[in-house]
Amino acid sequence: MITLDLLLHFWTMPFMVRAVIVLVTLGITAGIVGVFVNLRGFEFLTDGLTHAVFPGIAAGVAFAGSGGLFWGAAIAAAAATVFLSLLARRGVSSDAAVAVVLVAMFSVGVLIVSRSDDAAGQLEQLLFGRLFTVSLTEVVVTAIISVLAIATVLLTVRAQVMTAFDRDAARAAGYRVTLVDLSLNVAIALVVVSASIAVGNLLVIAFLIVPGALARVWARRLTSLFAIALSFAVLAGLAGLAGAFTISVGLDIPIPPGAAIAAVFVASYLLALLLFVIVRRPKAGGMG
Amino acid sequence: MSQTPPGKDEQANGEQGTALSAGPVVELTNAAFAYEGVVALDHVSLRAYAGEAVALIGPNGSGKSTLLRGLLGLLPLADGSVKVFGHQRRPGITEGIGYLPQQESTEPNFPISLRQVVMMGRYRRIGFWRFARAIDRLAVNEALEMTGLTARASARFGALSGGQQQRGLLARALAAKPRLLLLDEPFNGLDQPNRAALLATLRELKMRGVTIVVTTHDLDLARDVCDKVLLLAGTQVAFGATNEVLTLENLQAAFGDVQVEIDEHRVVIPGHDH
Repeated sequence: MITLDLLLHFWTMPFMVRAVIVLVTLGITAGIVGVFVNLRGFEFLTDGLTHAVFPGIAAGVAFAGSGGLFWGAAIAAAAATVFLSLLARRGVSSDAAVAVVLVAMFSVGVLIVSRSDDAAGQLEQLLFGRLFTVSLTEVVVTAIISVLAIATVLLTVRAQVMTAFDRDAARAAGYRVTLVDLSLNVAIALVVVSASIAVGNLLVIAFLIVPGALARVWARRLTSLFAIALSFAVLAGLAGLAGAFTISVGLDIPIPPGAAIAAVFVASYLLALLLFVIVRRPKAGGMG
Repeated sequence: MSQTPPGKDEQANGEQGTALSAGPVVELTNAAFAYEGVVALDHVSLRAYAGEAVALIGPNGSGKSTLLRGLLGLLPLADGSVKVFGHQRRPGITEGIGYLPQQESTEPNFPISLRQVVMMGRYRRIGFWRFARAIDRLAVNEALEMTGLTARASARFGALSGGQQQRGLLARALAAKPRLLLLDEPFNGLDQPNRAALLATLRELKMRGVTIVVTTHDLDLARDVCDKVLLLAGTQVAFGATNEVLTLENLQAAFGDVQVEIDEHRVVIPGHDH
């Protein structure tokens, strides 16, 4: 009861206010960018980019403390984005390229973290985030990077939609699809960077992939696709935060909120899939 | 504020501009196209004028789609010259050109309505910042009407029949108000009603002065709607008026050992009728 009372008065606790702001920001950003990840089939690339950013944040924290996290992430994300785009352009199978980058970079990150005094604790923070201890400056930086990510996809929205639907026609219409791909990679990298502190390097994948995938199950139009993805990402994020708070404060079992949020995301996706299978209508024409 | 909205000019050009220029809309002179340095098609020379339809005919791999990609500026020119609307072809310049790719190029489960697909034909004119304007919506409505799909505009694209999807993609190309229309195997897999509807649309477009270049395996189609035929087999076999080009000798030269039969009304190539 005390926990519920506390939860309903979250604005009296500055750390919860910051967590809520960050989650709503990330939910909106990842909801929008995640729709394009889904439409373009960039899920595996998102996975690769996320892992490639890991050594950057590890090195950033190792050399410059927590203030170096964003810079390390940004540099690693930029390098990985350019590298993956170049490989794809040279005709290397993109899945193979992503897989190689993913393994190589992630192992570099683990090596860097393993040199620190509190390797296990630091690894947990970097992978699963520290939503309850986000500073005001970090909230502002997260918001700025999120706006950049949203701007990147909204500026290229028509090119992204057309390339996703019909790549040949997009090229014929004069779109440079390599640049269209690159701009989506940049947007994904920006989301990964902005989410690094709050939900951690691993769990950002859930933010970028689950809302788009869940919305795709139900949506029949682009507008509903965005509406479902965006509102789901925000609401599920807040539900995960409430769950983590309740368990950590009420039951006194500290759990990383990022993990609770990812669990809510994945459970919701499975539920949505199940519901769809149960209630979906027969296909048009099936009834004559 | 006294500036004329660009859309108005574009629309006028799209519907009437062709009548103003007497020169060829498409002019290839000894053109050759290459994929990554390997020549895929060479020695192509053709001219097509406003209101003419040219059929590109040849076996699979003969260079039909290559030629379309070359006309779109997506392939480098290895030799010769390609002029569209009197200008040397340059990549990225697609103004006035409509393109219908092979149907398999689209993503079937995409959550998008037919109207939104047709609106893609206007994307380049709408640009990055603006929303679609009244002139864009008008062009979309006209394209839907011309392809007989007005009643299906709100349907999800993936829920349409194959023939309707094909006509929808044609509507997308038409929404750009093209003066040159490039069609890649538009009749593949179409049933008779859809085929008839598509043929009627092509005839209407020709009357409006649109130049059409269409790849096909279907010699009936070439006879029905095309003024000229370019016969290909990795190189140019023949080019000229439809009746003069579609001869037994030329078809044998293009299709090699495939048996060719000609009767009074039809030219049939067994195995190449899809």
